[in-house]
Amino acid sequence: MFRNLFAVAAAGLIVAGCNTLPADSTDIAERTAPLEYNTVVFTDYNLSRTWDDGIRDAGRVYRLSVENHGQRPTETGTTEVFAVLRNHTDFDYQIEVRTQFFDDYGVPVDARPTWQRSTIPANSVSAYKTLSTTTQPLKYRIEVREIN
Amino acid sequence: MMKGTTKALITGMAAASLLLVGCAGQIDNTRGKATVYEDASTTGRVGGVGIESQDIVAITDQMMRDMLANRMLAGRDIPPRIIIDNEYMRNESSSVVNTNMLTDRLRIELNRASNGRMIFVGREYAGMVQQERDLKRDGAVDGGTIRSTAAQAGADYRLAGRITSLDASDRSDGTQSRYSQISFEMVDMELGTIVWSGLYEMRKAGRDDVVYR
Repeated sequence: MFRNLFAVAAAGLIVAGCNTLPADSTDIAERTAPLEYNTVVFTDYNLSRTWDDGIRDAGRVYRLSVENHGQRPTETGTTEVFAVLRNHTDFDYQIEVRTQFFDDYGVPVDARPTWQRSTIPANSVSAYKTLSTTTQPLKYRIEVREIN
Repeated sequence: MMKGTTKALITGMAAASLLLVGCAGQIDNTRGKATVYEDASTTGRVGGVGIESQDIVAITDQMMRDMLANRMLAGRDIPPRIIIDNEYMRNESSSVVNTNMLTDRLRIELNRASNGRMIFVGREYAGMVQQERDLKRDGAVDGGTIRSTAAQAGADYRLAGRITSLDASDRSDGTQSRYSQISFEMVDMELGTIVWSGLYEMRKAGRDDVVYR
């Protein structure tokens, strides 16, 4: 009797662990994650989301991922940031990307960030690049979302 | 006895409700109130295949950042004098767009962001400036407080550009498609060489029932 109960409970736990959270769930980890600099984030949780299911390691569902990102100075002293995004699906994805620049104190600087539109072909990668307008040292936060 | 039971019951219910409240999520994930204002840098509720506000913002933003990374325009010890106005910006496309929106936004954003790395000549206002200079030279007004110069500023570079488009339509379902190309070139005003070029292209498709004015 107890053995059967234990088996059912274990199966239930495994099934619960396999569940994915929908993009509008309030339990998605990114919703409450602290603000980080020099990073790429998906502000559209349909594209990528993680959560802690409390049973196993954190769950994750994604359509796009970040392969690489970074910054380098231009010849006039402004900053160029880039991100290489990878599409893991069989469909082309049209996205919008923007970069917010911050100074060493975390104060937003530079011109107002603007969404740039781009397409990532199915099962391929696409590079996003943008430039700052100021010559001061900067930290960046690249935001990615799907075009509405 | 009865009183004690009731008190215990109420205390229990209060504790249970507190626990329940504590378990609830703190994020209220609901949509805000509808508004008549929209973000100019994103696609709005009314959208077609033409050049729209989000395109003007994206185009000028990209060109501004690119110019500021160009050594000939933004890396000189003596800042170059530049004219950015509508005089040589032509709209040869089928999109209805006032090209002043492109040149004005580009000049203003560049002027603010360059912070002295570029000097902008207001050739559009040359008549206004000359009128004041004449009044000063004639003695009708005094010389002002800044300085006097032999002439108005000459320019090192001037922006020129062109908007072109290629339209296609599917007559079976009325879908329209438009490929738009917006080119910008900075011309050396002595040599005639092009020192910087920028290109923005896009293709939009949809059932075009939007009227642009």
